[in-house]
Amino acid sequence: MPTDTGFEMTACTNYEALLEDYLEGTLDAAESMAVEKHWRDCSSCRVALDQASASVRLLRLAGPSAGPGPAFARTVMARIRAAESDLARSSERASFWQPLVKLGWRFAATATVVLGVLVTYDAGWGHRVQRESATTRWMGGNDIFAPDPANPPASRDEVLMMVADTNHGN
Amino acid sequence: MATSAAALTLPLDRKGKREEDRELVRLSQVGTESAFEELVRRHQQRVFAVVGSILHRPEDVEDVAQQVFLKAYLGIKRFDQRAAFSTWLYKIAVNECWDYLRKKKVRPLVYESDLSEEQASRLDGIASSDRPPEGPNARAEAREVLDRMLAALPEQDRQLLVLKEMEGFSVQELAEILDLNVNTVKVRLFRARGRIMDVYRRRMDSSGKLARSSPAQRKG
Repeated sequence: MPTDTGFEMTACTNYEALLEDYLEGTLDAAESMAVEKHWRDCSSCRVALDQASASVRLLRLAGPSAGPGPAFARTVMARIRAAESDLARSSERASFWQPLVKLGWRFAATATVVLGVLVTYDAGWGHRVQRESATTRWMGGNDIFAPDPANPPASRDEVLMMVADTNHGN
Repeated sequence: MATSAAALTLPLDRKGKREEDRELVRLSQVGTESAFEELVRRHQQRVFAVVGSILHRPEDVEDVAQQVFLKAYLGIKRFDQRAAFSTWLYKIAVNECWDYLRKKKVRPLVYESDLSEEQASRLDGIASSDRPPEGPNARAEAREVLDRMLAALPEQDRQLLVLKEMEGFSVQELAEILDLNVNTVKVRLFRARGRIMDVYRRRMDSSGKLARSSPAQRKG
């Protein structure tokens, strides 16, 4: 649906692309006839097409921009060479430090592996120690050295006797 | 509609140029500097046009255009030739312009959009003339006056009109460069045409040169 907003008269939305093609002369004969029939019947599209056609003439008056000077390509190539030599210099600098950088990375990698092994070992060992102490705690119920709570040793001699008996497998 | 001989030969020319570009790109990819220099010569005018449609200030245009070719040279080994070299290059140009504007934090245009009475008078003279202005000075003057008018349009409208009508890009090329659908380009172009004529009429009215008719109507 065309709308008229002040100065600006707009074409039917579904005809805008076709009118642009018509202006460009890229439609075939049948399409051109269909578009012509439409703009003859539709005043909005007729005004819009007239405006568009006028814009082509107006804008083509100035022609293309001046463009670059004759030395442009040479300047570009000189800039490219300068950039390349900068890149080469920076890669030379990089190659000077490269062995040290490589060594640093190797050291860091080795340190990481060693640290990883240590942490893993520590975690495993700690776990085992914990398990062992838990076993010991559990065994406390049948501890052979534990005195009978019903008959605690009355003297130091009784304690020594209990130990001696245990050592003999009694 | 009758198809002219020029319309038939143009795509063939373009195809031939594209094939030559492919070969030059292939040579550039293996380090032949002279091949890249030839690509610069072939595309410098249009790269200037693309950059100029966004940046406008001549010193910025020259600097960014050089940067575009430098980037293309550094990236040409990665260019797989699935698209045309020109499309790839002009996309670099558009991106480079927006990067440049982002870094400089400036708006694309430096022109004031209003025309003085003298400029309006000159534009009226140019528009009502049967022939385009002759000589580089007259063309530059016409260009300046039109640029001032175009400055009143939204950025994308201005870019489309400059590239299409002043620099001779096709709708297909514009769609590829600006990453838009071909139909979208057509619709936007058609609307931009209406807007620029609206600006033209307003400028003429406000400068006392009442637009009795459009330039097209005056020419019959």
